[in-house]
Amino acid sequence: MTTLTSQQRQDLIDELPRLKRYCLSLTSDPADADDLLQITVERLLEKGMPADAHVAKWAHRVCKNLWIDEIRSRDVRNRYALSEGVIDGAGTTSANTEESVQLDRVSAAMEQLPVEQRAALVQVAVEGRSYAEAAAFLEVPIGTIMSRVARARKALAANLEWREEREA
Amino acid sequence: MGVAKKVTDMRDDRKNVVDMDGGRVNDDYLLSMYIDNELDAAQTIALVSRLKSEPVLRTRLTQLEENDELVKQVYAQSAVRVPNQVTALVSADNVTLLRPGSQWRRWTAAAVAASCAAVVAMLVNTNQTAVFNPMTIDAQMAQVLESSPSRASGWETLDDERKFRSVLTFPAVDGKWCREFLLAHRESNWRGVACRDGGNWVNQVVGSEVFLNQETQYRPAGADDTESVARFIDETATDVALGPQQEAALIQSGW
Repeated sequence: MTTLTSQQRQDLIDELPRLKRYCLSLTSDPADADDLLQITVERLLEKGMPADAHVAKWAHRVCKNLWIDEIRSRDVRNRYALSEGVIDGAGTTSANTEESVQLDRVSAAMEQLPVEQRAALVQVAVEGRSYAEAAAFLEVPIGTIMSRVARARKALAANLEWREEREA
Repeated sequence: MGVAKKVTDMRDDRKNVVDMDGGRVNDDYLLSMYIDNELDAAQTIALVSRLKSEPVLRTRLTQLEENDELVKQVYAQSAVRVPNQVTALVSADNVTLLRPGSQWRRWTAAAVAASCAAVVAMLVNTNQTAVFNPMTIDAQMAQVLESSPSRASGWETLDDERKFRSVLTFPAVDGKWCREFLLAHRESNWRGVACRDGGNWVNQVVGSEVFLNQETQYRPAGADDTESVARFIDETATDVALGPQQEAALIQSGW
C-alpha cells in the first residue's frame, strides 16, 4: 500500500478547507459534505498517491469520483428532498436577520444549480481560481468552466430575484 | 499568454450564443469573465467603456458581484469548516483506519464486503430494556418492516410511543432480504437491521444512537453500538441498497 509522504500529508492538510468547500459544492448538503470529505481523506490515506502527484488536484479527483460512485449507488431523490431542508438552514447564523435571510436565499439558490455549475462557480468565485486552474481541478476544458460559471451566475441571479419577489 | 488566447478564442465562438429562453447571453458571459479577470486588455477596455454608458449593464454587473459576495459568505460559514477528526486523521503519523461507520461509507464498502458474517446480537444498554426492548419485533413493527418504503425523513408512528423509519433495503449473502431501520422510543433511539427469514422479520443487530434532529438528519454519537451496526451491514450485504422502484416492486411482490 502506498502511503502519503510527510509533505503530501502537509499539503493535504493545507488543502482540506478548499476540499471541504468542493465537497459542499458537489453535495449541497453539509452532512454529506462532511461524509464525502472524510471518505476522500480515508481513501487518500489508504491508497496513497504517486510521489509526483499534485496533492490538491489528486484529492479533488478522488473526491469527485467518490461522489459519482455515491450518487450512482443510492437514491438521490430522497437525498435532494432532504438536503433542501438542510441547506436552507445551513447558512443561518442568526435568526431572522436580514443578512441571514439573504444568505438562506443564496444557499437555496445555489442548491438549485446543476452540480457542474455550482462546482465551477465555487472554484472560481469562492476559491479565486482562474479558469485555467479550475479547469485543471475539475478536469474539463477552460471553455467549459467559462460557460458554467457564467450560466451559474445567470441562473443564481434569476433564482434570487424570483425568491425575493415571492417573499416580498 | 496561452490561457488568455484560449479564452479569446472561445469568446469569439460565442457571438451567437443564446440561452434556453432564446435570449442572448453574451453580456452575462462578458460580465462573468470581467468579474473573474479573464478578459484580455482590449476586451476589458471595451467593456469598461460600455459600463460607463449603459446603466443597465452596470446594474447587472453590480448584481452579479453582490451575488458572488453572498456565495462567498455562505461557503465561509461554520458549516464549511473541516471537522477536527479529519484533520487529525491526516496529521497522524500512523493511522489505523476504522471500519466505515456512516451509512454512506458502509455502502461504498459493501462492494468489497467480506463473506457471510455470523449474526450479531449486540445490544443496547440493558438499563434501557427493562420496560422496552428494541430487539423485540412485535406484529406492528413486523408490519412496517414488511410494507413501509425506505425514506430519508419522516416517521411511522407505532403504539407504545414508538416511531419507526425504514432506511435501506439490501440483499444479504445468504439470500435473505434485510432492512436497516431507525426506531425511536421516548428519549431513546436505535439503529438496527432486521432480516426476513421464513416470512418473519428477525432483528440481527440493534445499536443505540443519538439523533441530532429526528425530522431531518441524524448523526451517530460515535458509540461502538452504531459502529457495530455499520460493520454488520458491511459484512452481510452482497450488493448496494435497492433503489425506490426496486424496493417498491419487492414489497409489492411480498418479498
